Amino acid sequence: MKKILILFLMVSLIFTAIAAEKIAFEQPILITSGGQSPGALQMKVLAKASKLDYVFEKTISAADFDSGNYKTLIVVIGASGKGLGAAGIDIDAEVARVESLCQKAKEDGVKVALFQIEGGSRRGTSTDLIIDTLAPYADAVFFKLDGNEDGKFTQLEADYPIYFESFEKTSNVKSILKDNFAN
Amino acid sequence: MRKAFLVTLLFVLITCLSFATITSQTVASSLGMVSAANPYAAEVGAKILEEGGNALDAAIAVSYALGVVEPYASGLGGEGYAIISLASGEKYAVDFKAMTPAIATYEKLAELGTKISNVRYTPKGALVPGIPAGTQKIWELGATMPMADLINPSIELARNGIIVNDTFAGVVSDGYEKLLENAPEFLNDGLAWESGDLFKNEALADTLEILAAEGVESFYKGTLAKNIAEFMKENEGFITAEDMADYEAYVKEPIHGTYRGYDLYVPHPPVSGPQLIAVMNLLENFNLSAMSWDDPLAVHIIQQALVLEDVDRKFYISDPEFHTLPVEGFISKEFAKMRFMKIDLTKAMDPNTYFDNVGDAFVFDNGENYESVLLAEANKEAKSQEDIYESPSTTHFSVVDKYGNSVAWTQTISSFWGTSNFLDGYFFNNEIGNFASSFRPGDIINLTPGMRVRTTICPTIIEKDGQVKYVIGTPGGGRIISTVVQLIVDLIDFDMPIDQAVKTPKFVGYSSYKDVRIESGYPAETLEVLEKVLGHKIKEYTYPDLYFGGPNIISVENDGMMIGMGSVRRNGAASAPEM
Repeated sequence: MKKILILFLMVSLIFTAIAAEKIAFEQPILITSGGQSPGALQMKVLAKASKLDYVFEKTISAADFDSGNYKTLIVVIGASGKGLGAAGIDIDAEVARVESLCQKAKEDGVKVALFQIEGGSRRGTSTDLIIDTLAPYADAVFFKLDGNEDGKFTQLEADYPIYFESFEKTSNVKSILKDNFAN
Repeated sequence: MRKAFLVTLLFVLITCLSFATITSQTVASSLGMVSAANPYAAEVGAKILEEGGNALDAAIAVSYALGVVEPYASGLGGEGYAIISLASGEKYAVDFKAMTPAIATYEKLAELGTKISNVRYTPKGALVPGIPAGTQKIWELGATMPMADLINPSIELARNGIIVNDTFAGVVSDGYEKLLENAPEFLNDGLAWESGDLFKNEALADTLEILAAEGVESFYKGTLAKNIAEFMKENEGFITAEDMADYEAYVKEPIHGTYRGYDLYVPHPPVSGPQLIAVMNLLENFNLSAMSWDDPLAVHIIQQALVLEDVDRKFYISDPEFHTLPVEGFISKEFAKMRFMKIDLTKAMDPNTYFDNVGDAFVFDNGENYESVLLAEANKEAKSQEDIYESPSTTHFSVVDKYGNSVAWTQTISSFWGTSNFLDGYFFNNEIGNFASSFRPGDIINLTPGMRVRTTICPTIIEKDGQVKYVIGTPGGGRIISTVVQLIVDLIDFDMPIDQAVKTPKFVGYSSYKDVRIESGYPAETLEVLEKVLGHKIKEYTYPDLYFGGPNIISVENDGMMIGMGSVRRNGAASAPEM
């Protein structure tokens, strides 16, 4: 029963996303990672392919974030122990970093878009912690469908009246960027 | 005319229907069996058996197929070892380990202002690959089909594509940054391959076509060798055309050990065959079958035995062409008694003292008994050894045919993706990382031109009364011997069927770890006794975890029925001609 309900909500979400107006994010864009998984690097590849005006900084701090230079902050969420280790940062510090970035963005009128592009394979306690921490700051959330099998993003959409859009394959993000971010 | 057409059609239909294989995680058949880390590869081998090929034919075909379907774990740029048991009774250990290039030295690295740890993911990290030579050598030992016929299925796979599974997608994700930097052409238009994608490797298909047409020699002296030499020159790698031409695979008789009436056939150094025999010899002194697999005492005994023999491994296993090794002493039952005496049933050895307890295998090399050695006094200085990280990558497969031939085969490119450099559709190994990071006097794993570096792989064939009973092996870096030992104990001491033996949670005994790394699934009480009574530090991993390897094994029952089991930790599969 629960599965049917979740499926129904997911389908509703898809149609809602299709039916809803596209949200418009402006450039230039700062792209950063939330959790240091490879997803952020994939976003960089996608942004380049979409010919966006962007800067990619995987571990930028709020102190180094010159918000006057950007219209949009994209945080690509996915926690990776390997990535955090390579960056010399633990999960608590990472959560604090991206939260303070989003805080500064909101204070300075920079729109915040959250992306979860690695789907179910990158969902876990740490990733969810980042999602939950950043959701209050987001203007939009874009997520891979197989990352919503437990209804996580469906529930988030119910909790936050912001723009949500899902996609099936990571390569679909290219269209999302062109439709919503090439302004 | 119409009649001829119908007869031909009927013949084609019957032929197609007769080439039937069954592939699943566990398969039973009396017509032959293949167990491998990927169902596509397992099926390639089963089809060869179905077509009348023998275990060597099937094994060669699987080796090439794994390079297509698991490009991150092995392939033309890799190395390996195989143990073969023929129906005639002959047995072979085939060494196709990668060979250090002639100019790869610490001095050269220093001259270039670098060191081993900095070159692992560059072309300098690659040693001369051995897999193609290994397949040729094994073919010469008794394959029955033309080599081209054994390569063709892999050409089709690479050309037509495979569906990416979760393991493939996960490993791509983990290696994405390196792949983006060093092998962007491998990626899916710059993005990571995802589960369900159709992955094609046209470059590899082209390369395999050259191999099929021109022979394996093209890889070492012909077209493909030239490509490798040019690539290395342009990218400052160490491998030269001369290195490639000099490479050869070796054939020896396997090392033989026994365990409770079973015969174990294992590889020679520089891989872990002697270490496995040493562990089993030590365990033979304990009545393990009076315990159960999850008895904390059994876990403790096995873990301590693994640690002790891993300590010994670091002093007694290297390339025998370059070092005098006390192999006979190391695998002797008498040496095992000395090591047996080191195990305290009431508490775990202090990890800080592991290397104070190196066994002296040399004194047993001449057949000494343990009593006389005990009576002689020996002053031992505390030794130390560098911790070398051993990746969980690598792949293992097992093959048994209906004629009575068996092959246990492990191959690798060292880390997943190796150096991450991509040429002609395959990745180069980065075995250089298994050498000591800098020169240490007396160390048996100093970087040395021509040397084959020590690794922990251990493909194994187990016989009873002259009949093959089990063909086993696993990837898993430093966890390999732990997993193989537990498989043997589970099969022989705890009388488990092979699916249970593969699925049972695993733990690690390794001298580089101060804790016991263990998969969840052991009773809470077992873990509590291990920690609070025996003094182990436990680090638990959620079951199933790729970290503990991915055994792909086969058992042969007394009535000749073969049962194959693919790894549960890595989307493995067994495949067999359908009965």
